[in-house]
Amino acid sequence: MDFGVFLQTCLNATYASSYLALVAVGLVLIFGVMRVVNFAHGELYMAGAYCLFWVFYQNELPFFAGVAVAVLAVAVVGLLLERTMFRPMKDNPLGGLICSIGALLVLQAGAVALFGVRKKSFAGPYNEAVTLFGIDALTISGQRLVVIAFAVILLGALWIFLRRSRFGWALRAVAQDSEAAALQGISISRISMLAMILGAALAGVAGALTATIVPTGPYMGHPVIIGAFIVIIVGGLGSLEGAVLASVLYAFTHTFVTTLFDGTIADITGLVLMLIVLVVRPHGLLGKPERA
Amino acid sequence: MTFGSIDRRKFIGTSALAGAAAATAVNPGRLRAAETVRIGFLAPLTGGVAAWGLPGLYGCEIWAEQKNAAGGVDIGGTSYNVEIVSYDNEYLPDKARTGAQKLINEDGVSFIEMLGGDTMPAVTPIANRAEMLVSTLLPSDLSPDTPFLVAPAEVHPIYNLTGVWWMAENMPEAKTAVICAQDDALGRPSVATYLAAFEAHGIEVKDTIFFDIATTDFAPVMTAMLAHKPDILCLDTAYAEFVNELCKQAFVQNYGGQIISCTADFYADIIANTSEEFMEGVIFQFPDFDDPALNSEGINFNDPNGFFQVYNERHPGQWGAVSWEYASILDLWLDGAQKAGSIEPAAVLDGMKQGGTGAHAFGEANWWGEELFGIDNALVGNWPVVQIQNGKAVIVEFKNIPEWWGEHSATMIKHFEAMGEMWYQRA
Repeated sequence: MDFGVFLQTCLNATYASSYLALVAVGLVLIFGVMRVVNFAHGELYMAGAYCLFWVFYQNELPFFAGVAVAVLAVAVVGLLLERTMFRPMKDNPLGGLICSIGALLVLQAGAVALFGVRKKSFAGPYNEAVTLFGIDALTISGQRLVVIAFAVILLGALWIFLRRSRFGWALRAVAQDSEAAALQGISISRISMLAMILGAALAGVAGALTATIVPTGPYMGHPVIIGAFIVIIVGGLGSLEGAVLASVLYAFTHTFVTTLFDGTIADITGLVLMLIVLVVRPHGLLGKPERA
Repeated sequence: MTFGSIDRRKFIGTSALAGAAAATAVNPGRLRAAETVRIGFLAPLTGGVAAWGLPGLYGCEIWAEQKNAAGGVDIGGTSYNVEIVSYDNEYLPDKARTGAQKLINEDGVSFIEMLGGDTMPAVTPIANRAEMLVSTLLPSDLSPDTPFLVAPAEVHPIYNLTGVWWMAENMPEAKTAVICAQDDALGRPSVATYLAAFEAHGIEVKDTIFFDIATTDFAPVMTAMLAHKPDILCLDTAYAEFVNELCKQAFVQNYGGQIISCTADFYADIIANTSEEFMEGVIFQFPDFDDPALNSEGINFNDPNGFFQVYNERHPGQWGAVSWEYASILDLWLDGAQKAGSIEPAAVLDGMKQGGTGAHAFGEANWWGEELFGIDNALVGNWPVVQIQNGKAVIVEFKNIPEWWGEHSATMIKHFEAMGEMWYQRA
């Protein structure tokens, strides 16, 4: 691999890390607080992409208006999922998971009914190539730079929120020990709702930001959720920092193997990475071992 | 069946047929057919491969409506209305199997049109048992074990050689190529074809890159391709959205060479995502049917320009590679049925293959395929080479596939064998 290809691959991997981290952190938030493995999270990502398609492409409104609508709309979908499915099933370990599979199918069918089966491939407002630092090998579309910038800003803001705000402390407390948090007067229901809204909004913003980069289709959430699950297992279930670290690790591994070999081998490598972590460090890179 | 179980398409289709029938009843200039012949359409209408199914169904519905409006089709002295019965196989073998059983046993179809590929092995035993005539767009489905399967519209992927052939003649400076393809039943035989064509015309293939069908981010794939600094990017038979994404990435990563692809479906979208200058000169294999070259003598598709116009009025932005193909197969089926004087599948097959030739959409063609597929059930003749010029697909030349085959068949067979795609190598 010559140096130019190496630089370009690093850039490709940085972009892949960014959107994957947004999706995976949302998934971790939901799992950490609610103990629900949300299989519909990929479809929340898909819903965000379609919101952008509808606002930006079909109604020709500004791109960031589409992103804002995606965040709000998908957060509302998340809220509905929490209130109608996950909350009633909170005492049933398998109930939430099965409900999320049902929600996945409903959201996919809804997308087909509203937008048809053909994938939408449309250009964003920052489609032109940007050459970084005057180095030809560091060429990336402006749209991908927007994703990277948003990921850094949003994940940074989330980190500050979780550490500096009362809601953030409450959220972390529930994630660590919900019974102890409840004894301290924290409303588990309100915090669950907040986690679901935040997690869904992150998936929605990831979908909206990448809608002009990848084909927007009813089944676009499937490969994303597989990657996100690998990431949260590698990072450690419930660890936000672990999810970000694992996103970078997974995306760089996957992108470099794709470039050097092919995508199929890259998929296998990603799964092997997960298996190695499960064997060597079952609680993930930054996860904490379950107490006996 | 309750009203609630009828889907929107069926409802609209039924309404259209009912409307056509009503119009026929009050129009003394039109005849009414006494019988109905049902044609099965078993292809992906949803899912990732829908772009090679649904637009074809639209074309068939227009074909049937036009025939029915003209009083139906006359076969063996009986006038038939044509009814298209569709089943969405989602490009899943299990669904295709169920669909074939339903179409044959419940709907009583006389002929089934399929995309083929990964779904065909599930259908073949059912079709063989019922002696049901089935068509595929992918001749790589053919083998001696598929006596009732024909590939009468397109000889995918063999026609891809015509693009390379034309390019070698007209762009002699392009000497190196990189191929990428999704790793599936569509991608692999197409890679074998491109490898053979490039070799036959002295173009060096620097690398062949397979990617998973679930790939969404094509930046790494394109980076790997461009690392070889090729004169030609070959996008193989990538699915419509893959071609779009690959072109976007080639554009962003500053590629300035030639692109060749089997399809460039919805190329207006690709131009919108890149630029007219970037897409100028891209070579592919599927014309728009408003192309003046299709009005020339020897073209057997009825009023291609009119068909294109009606299609685009009804389904704007949906014209793609398969929009005309399934309809052109109906022309060949009808021709076979009229020669046989029957709608019985076996008799129609005999009628279609009568004399060893058929009226292919792009001119008279021969039933061929013994060497490559083990059975002469592919209709092969001319195929157009299409180039994007000033943002519009233009037929630049028709090339004769049997002529190329006469000179280079050994090369093609060598690459099909290396790829494990010869009929005797397939499971």
